[in-house]
Parts: sequence; structure tokens; C-alpha cells
Amino acid sequence: MPKDQFKTRLEIAKKKISKKNLYDNKNNPSSIGTAFKLSTELVSAVAVGTIIGFIFDKTFGTKPWFILIFFFVGVVAGITNVIRSAKNMQK
Amino acid sequence: MTQFNVHRIGPEIKVGAFDISFTNASLFMIISSVAILLIFNLGSKKNSLLPNKIQLLAELSYTFVSKMINDTAGSKAKPYFAFIFSLFMFVLFCNMFGMIPYTFTVTSHIIVTFILASFIFIGVTVIGFIKHGFGYLKLFVPSGVPAVLLPLIVVIEIISYLSRPISLSVRLFANMMAGHTMMKVFGGFVISLGIVGGWLPLSFSVALTGLEILVAFLQAYVFAILTCIYLNDALNLHH
Repeated sequence: MPKDQFKTRLEIAKKKISKKNLYDNKNNPSSIGTAFKLSTELVSAVAVGTIIGFIFDKTFGTKPWFILIFFFVGVVAGITNVIRSAKNMQK
Repeated sequence: MTQFNVHRIGPEIKVGAFDISFTNASLFMIISSVAILLIFNLGSKKNSLLPNKIQLLAELSYTFVSKMINDTAGSKAKPYFAFIFSLFMFVLFCNMFGMIPYTFTVTSHIIVTFILASFIFIGVTVIGFIKHGFGYLKLFVPSGVPAVLLPLIVVIEIISYLSRPISLSVRLFANMMAGHTMMKVFGGFVISLGIVGGWLPLSFSVALTGLEILVAFLQAYVFAILTCIYLNDALNLHH
């Protein structure tokens, strides 16, 4: 049937177009931007963790302990941030 | 470096302990806002079927931002179009005005970008609580985590949530400042090497100017798109 054939060909063409668009979107927002995004995400979480630890230490007077704990928690949070945004990029 | 100095224009105005006098930073913010208003007023004045250049510019940026919002945050984010559009335009124009020699780059100061980012952060959090009530706190409790690990995970999630405004602001500020500093350094090489060896750094600075224009656009785009992503988290709660 010519009509069926046309339909399948249309489907194939549509699929090709959508694939092409996906590919374009991935490459468009330049790699510098994405690389910089990942690095700031890692650093900012560590900074926030350290600041929270510092504030807790200041208020409770337990000098090094909270800053130590929250520094490492911040590192973990940074790594989860990076993994999450890398997963988002792969979508 | 003198290009990053903030200095007062006109009289000193003080409210309590705060110095709110008019500076060159405020001057360039006003210039970029006025430029945006002018372009969009002129662009939407005459709705001809064959657009002239300004109308084309306005329409292109409108469709660009509207498509970006639709792709990242879905149709639920439509009411916030005006905010994201003006945010994108403001950051873009501040970055671009900074590329003109002898101007001041507003976004190369962390306090400006941090205020923008914390405004977005607070706004998104408020929207999330309005839309979902206390259910918004589920954002911090990922599903399928054993109860033993839960306290640790919640702390990690809270830190990663709080790190959003910082990563947003540091990214824009660092990109702009690093680019301008690099151009300054290469310009200094041109002067110190003189007419004999100055041609190489001069060609580098020409290339860097092109790169900087790209970065200025890209950072405004990233700033807006991350706002959309955070808005998406607040509107469609699925974690």
C-alpha cells in the first residue's frame, strides 16, 4: 500500500529530525559553559558546608569539630551536585 | 585594576549606616535597563509583517527565551516568563555593555551577581512553599533511602540546596572578571613589548574579544536556564 509506505517513511523522517535536534541541543551551549558549571557546583557546596560549620562553631564554642564535619559533608554534597548535573546533561 | 573600581558620581547620600550614593555601577545598570526598554519599545511600536532590524531583534529574543522556558520548566512556568525574560536581558546587556572599552562591567562584581542569585533563590523557595505547602520539604528527602542514612542524606541535600545561589553568582562573576582581567593582561603585553614583539599579544587580544562576547552571551544564557531549572524543581516536585 502506498499510503502505509508513506506513513512509515514519514515516521522514519520524523525520528531522524528529532534525533538531529537532540544532538544539536547537546552541542550548542558550548563545552566551556558546562565545564565551568560543574566546577562551581563542586566548590560552592564545599564553601557552604564550611560556612555552616564555622557558624556552628562560633555559636557553640566547639572550635574545630563542626567545621571538620561540615567540610566533609560539603564535599559529599558537592560530589552529589556534580553527579546530578552530569546526569541532567546526558538526558 | 582601575576598570573594576567603583566610584561615586555626584553627592554622597547616606541612610543610617548605609551608603546609597549614586556610583558608576548604578549608572551602568541604569544605562542597560534604559537600552532594553528602548529596544523593546521601538521593536513593538510598529507591528509590521516584514520586521525591521529592531523589531526582529525584539522578536528573536522573545521567542528564544520563551522556547528556553518551555523546554526546561514546561508550560507551568509560563506565568514567570516576564521575570526570566527581564533577568536574562538585564544580565546580557550588562555583560555586553562591559565589552565596550572604558565602560564598567556591573556583573564583574560578586555583590551584584550574588544579590541577583539570592533574589532568585528566595523567590523560588517561596514559590515552592506556596505551591506545595510543607510538602516542598520532600525535596530534601529522596525516596528509597534506608532510614539509617536519612539524617546524613538530609544534611547533604540541604547543603546542596543552599549552594545554589553561590554557584549561580560565582559562575557569572568569575567568568566576567577573569575575561576582563585576561584582556587587560594581554593589553599590557602589547604595551611592554612595543612595536617589535607586540603583534602576537595584539592578535591574541583580538581573539579574546571574540571569545569574551561569546562568554558574555553564554553566561547570561546559563544564568537564565539555571533559574528555569530551579523553578522547574519548585513547580514540578519529583525527586
